[in-house]
Amino acid sequence: MINELLLQFGQWMEAQQYSQMLVAGYYSYSWLEATHVLTLMVSIGSLFIIDFRMLGWILPNVSASTIADRLHKPMMIGFAIMFITGFLLVYAKPVETIQSLWFRIKMVLLVLAFINAWIFNAKMKAADGNWDNDSVAPRNLRVGAILSLVLWCGVVTMGRYIPYDWVDCDKTQNSTILWAAGCVDQLKAL
Amino acid sequence: MFSTIWSQYKATLTVFLVLLVIVVLEVLQVRAAIYPSLLPAFEWLKNSTPLGYIGTTYGSIYATVQAMHLLAMGTLGGLVLTTDLRLLGVMFRNTPSEVISNGTHKAFKVALIAAVLTGIFCVAGVADKVYYMPVFWVKMLALAVGAAFVFLVKQPLLNSKPHSEINPWIIRGMAITSILVWFTVAASGRWIGFS
Repeated sequence: MINELLLQFGQWMEAQQYSQMLVAGYYSYSWLEATHVLTLMVSIGSLFIIDFRMLGWILPNVSASTIADRLHKPMMIGFAIMFITGFLLVYAKPVETIQSLWFRIKMVLLVLAFINAWIFNAKMKAADGNWDNDSVAPRNLRVGAILSLVLWCGVVTMGRYIPYDWVDCDKTQNSTILWAAGCVDQLKAL
Repeated sequence: MFSTIWSQYKATLTVFLVLLVIVVLEVLQVRAAIYPSLLPAFEWLKNSTPLGYIGTTYGSIYATVQAMHLLAMGTLGGLVLTTDLRLLGVMFRNTPSEVISNGTHKAFKVALIAAVLTGIFCVAGVADKVYYMPVFWVKMLALAVGAAFVFLVKQPLLNSKPHSEINPWIIRGMAITSILVWFTVAASGRWIGFS
């Protein structure tokens, strides 16, 4: 049911004039993709520095809250650009992307990464500031930092897999993969 | 006298000599003569090494290493921006720039090594293709310039004395140069994928 709805939504987007324009213009799609990837340096770059600081791997003599506060703004700007360009990339090729197993796993990991970030922030605010100048953050924050690193590595890896066609709808007969990727027509044909 | 000048301006003279050698090689068309002889090395990398074999045979491993390369470049970019924006006085104004530049340098080296190692693997799988791409050579040149700039100019100067004693315009110039060079490395790398 959800897969059918998502496919219909994708087909509706694909019929839009602006969606077709984005794909037709070779450079527009390339620029979007390039901006999406290059902004990693601002978003993931800043986020990883915060996580590394929590784990005591970097800048141990600068307070953790200073690192987190100062890098929060560029990180959010980076993520905002990534989300806008990411949405436009999906908008340009909606059916293909919605029926990509890797894209779906990426979205799940993205949601988990944001839940983790939200919990991490809450824990950081709740903790008393005694540890702020310690080279290593308390255990619960370190666990959050490791989870953040793992989840974002997963997000980037899944993003890198999307252009590959190993498990595209027309490349596999495995019903579980077809269901997970939302390959509605191929599932019906089985 | 020469040894005094050399000891005082070692890094600057080294960079000048490197640039001079590049100009001489270009004028004498040595680079143009060397370039065709590199093709067998690229073909060997793809066809006769384990890296080339894995890169061309196992697509999932190749894509995973590509993702690791992206992550290394993303981390490297974040470290470059953090350090250089501090040197420009844009952020971390309440933290001494010495602390930021020294504190990020070790991680920068690790990220650079990771980016280079994963990059070699990525090249091995498509070595005979990238050899003919001008943008690949732009990336290699920018990478060499970036590494030389960091290790021969930027870090030696930043470590030589308190930053307050260095001309602020030199520091700003270095920070802007660093951002531009590393952005060129990343952008040309991205463009290899489009070519």
